[in-house]
Amino acid sequence: MIRIKDMPLISLRGIIKKYPMGKNDFYEALHGVDLDINVGEFVAITGPSGSGKSTLMHILGALDTPTEGSQFFKGKNISSYSEDELADIRNKEIGFVFQFFNLLPKITVFKNVERPMLYGGIPPSERSQRVIRALSSVGIADKANNLSNHISGGQIQRVAIARALIMNPSVILADEPTGNLDSKASLEIVKILSDLNKQGHTIIIITHEEEIADFAKRKIKIIDGKIISDVKNEP
Amino acid sequence: MEIKETLKSAVDSLKINKLRSLLTMLGIIIGITAVIIISSVGEGLVNYVSDELSSFGTNFFQINPGNNMMSAMTGGGEPLTTEDVSVIKDANISNIQNIVGFSMTSKAVSANDESILSSIYGMTPEGEALLKPNMIYGEFLTNDDINNRVVVIGTEVADKLFGENTDPVGESIKIDDMRFSVIGVSKSEGNLFGSFFNTSIILPLETMQQQVIGVDEIVEIDVEVKNIDYINETMDEVELVLKDHRKIADDEENDFIMTSFIESLNIFETITNTLTLFITGISAISLLVGGIGVMNIMLVSVTERTKEIGLLKSIGAKRKDILGQFLVESSVITTAGGFIGIILGIVATYLVSFLMKIPFVINIVWVVIATIISILVGIVFGLYPAQKAAKLHAIDALRFE
Repeated sequence: MIRIKDMPLISLRGIIKKYPMGKNDFYEALHGVDLDINVGEFVAITGPSGSGKSTLMHILGALDTPTEGSQFFKGKNISSYSEDELADIRNKEIGFVFQFFNLLPKITVFKNVERPMLYGGIPPSERSQRVIRALSSVGIADKANNLSNHISGGQIQRVAIARALIMNPSVILADEPTGNLDSKASLEIVKILSDLNKQGHTIIIITHEEEIADFAKRKIKIIDGKIISDVKNEP
Repeated sequence: MEIKETLKSAVDSLKINKLRSLLTMLGIIIGITAVIIISSVGEGLVNYVSDELSSFGTNFFQINPGNNMMSAMTGGGEPLTTEDVSVIKDANISNIQNIVGFSMTSKAVSANDESILSSIYGMTPEGEALLKPNMIYGEFLTNDDINNRVVVIGTEVADKLFGENTDPVGESIKIDDMRFSVIGVSKSEGNLFGSFFNTSIILPLETMQQQVIGVDEIVEIDVEVKNIDYINETMDEVELVLKDHRKIADDEENDFIMTSFIESLNIFETITNTLTLFITGISAISLLVGGIGVMNIMLVSVTERTKEIGLLKSIGAKRKDILGQFLVESSVITTAGGFIGIILGIVATYLVSFLMKIPFVINIVWVVIATIISILVGIVFGLYPAQKAAKLHAIDALRFE
């Protein structure tokens, strides 16, 4: 008997992603990727630019669908889900942290962090409490009423992490979360992610910086659309 | 997403580009302002004219000499006489309540060394029941005054000859070296058609014809009817009586003209309604242009905010959420424009009615219609851009540069 705990959170089987290039041509970004991500893991996906790591991250994050192959989320095949069904999974199961354009411009930090709950139907009575709790967990509860364009790059990433946490997702996907930051701020962000993993959160981080990847417990290297190494990492 | 939150976030988005939002509203503001002004001023004008007419009495018609409006005004054609008034009276037409004949002239009038030129009307005492002057001082003409040298003078005449707020009853005035004693001061109810009670002098008809102008000439006969529903039948009967008396054959053109106030009012209303319809058409075009402006800006906004749409989708916004957000934004623009337009329209209507001295009327129905139109313009013209935004794929929107 298989226990839920043993079932991978995300499974990719034979994932091929092709992008149309002109009329009859296409570019194949992923050539048959197999990958399992388990609950509680801290995974770093590395690779040079153009390696297909962003494409992989988009599929892991249910932002994009594969051209061929199957993707399972908590055991369900979501390869043929509609745009709205995928939106629901992104809302409830996945928290995103992007490199650029993380926050809605010119509105408060509070409203930014609150927004996923508006789409997820969380009652108003719960919302403010949850926003404050999430902001506190990344150490910037005092910035709740600041406009999103009036805070520093490091703070923006913290707000993005708070927003990613707000729906209690199964996994946090961070796409080059430190790509825009100086080394001190980068270190702080990656420490927050590491701490969240220690609290039991599943974290996937996409990065091209080895020193960032070194914080993860598992390192996956992708080159030319193929996984070339998948190793356990003891930080 | 709840509508309240959608509204809040729409207002937040519109605040980011205040000037653009305001400029986008402009077409709607102009259109709605026009709708409010036209409907309200039009209605005020109709009310004003109706009030004027009813203060004067609408249940009568007038007979003037001549065969068209022009000759009736200039007094051309075979004049009407007191005999014409008598034959109508003698015909005992059952729907007739009252008949008054007028004669008219214009003379220098003096008193207390003051002299003015005034319109002078000869009138029988029935004129009081028919034209309903307000008597400020004294009494109107009575049957005892026939052929006496007595006058009723208008308030403006009294002010000029005797000074303001003085009771001139018992005083005398001079017309052509004849002395007349003032028995009353009259004032008109309205001020468009009936103003002659303010500015004129009224004498008994016989005094006027025999002592002042020296001819038996009537410039107008007013006939009051008991039941206004049968006014047209009564006019036909009077026409037959007059034709017979004035020996006009059936195939000959009349040398007198009959008009009822109700008819004038209807003509006036038709003109006003046509004008309202025409200008409403123009405001509809303005709203259409405004709506296209809204659509244009919303399309620009969707393109500009593609990355934002991608972000919203990545955190769980569904198609309906994005559709709702952009629809609400366009509707908020047009509704806000509509409200500004309503306020501007009310202010402008107030100014226009103040300057034109017509009643200030705002019809709440038009305010409601204007609000509904504003919201509808936002929804109709916002639909296409909103659909465009909603249809974007999360990943395409996120990767958009």
